[in-house]
Amino acid sequence: METRAQRIHIKFSVPSDPRYLPVIRGTMGSLAAAIGWDEAECRAIVLAVDEALANVIRHAYHSRPDGLMELEFRESAEGLEISLLDNGDAPDRSKICAREIDCDQVGGLGTHIIREVMDTVSYEECPLGNRFVAIKRLRKTT
Amino acid sequence: MKISVRDVADAKVVEVDGEVDLGTSPDLRRTLFEALSGARRLALNLGEIRYIDSSGIATLIEVLKRSQNMQKEFVLFGLNPRVLEVFRLTHVIRIFQVFQTEQEALGTS
Repeated sequence: METRAQRIHIKFSVPSDPRYLPVIRGTMGSLAAAIGWDEAECRAIVLAVDEALANVIRHAYHSRPDGLMELEFRESAEGLEISLLDNGDAPDRSKICAREIDCDQVGGLGTHIIREVMDTVSYEECPLGNRFVAIKRLRKTT
Repeated sequence: MKISVRDVADAKVVEVDGEVDLGTSPDLRRTLFEALSGARRLALNLGEIRYIDSSGIATLIEVLKRSQNMQKEFVLFGLNPRVLEVFRLTHVIRIFQVFQTEQEALGTS
């Protein structure tokens, strides 16, 4: 009988308070290392997840610390899927834009980082709120 | 995150130790703006920063712009690989003056 490997699946419910961000970063770094990314890639993935949470805190909840963020990490055969759900204000899609290289604009840096690091990124409105989904593929060297 | 400021001739050197993120970058911003008002040149040591996110990078850009408006200098030194990775991802390194050492940053080497 063919067996399927068990894979890790973690869910967090986190208040929209920046003081919890280091907790998620610590967990995320260990998870990415366990799945198989190297140190630099782990740091980049941690940064991208942190930026997604920070975007929700700033833009969906307008820096209110009492919002709820539901973060889910799901390992797959290809790598890792990250899902982030909030019930704050929906993102303004016209403002989710690419930055020019070497420009001194302050806005958009977080979104730029997420797109640089993750392989696919999507935003959708669903009955439960706003959902951000990003996938990072594990590139095998053998 | 710990921040310290010291005077070196007519410059100020700011040292940051720890993690710069959405929760801590407002403190860094406030300290850098205050230090900039009292110095001709402001040098920021990034050697002991273990983590920096886009809010930290945005803070540095804001301080750079204010320094230019005030016709002062804001320079960075001691960038470690973790900080350099974030600068590389955000493509903003070339807008800053970056030095290896404090002496080079202050023009005293």
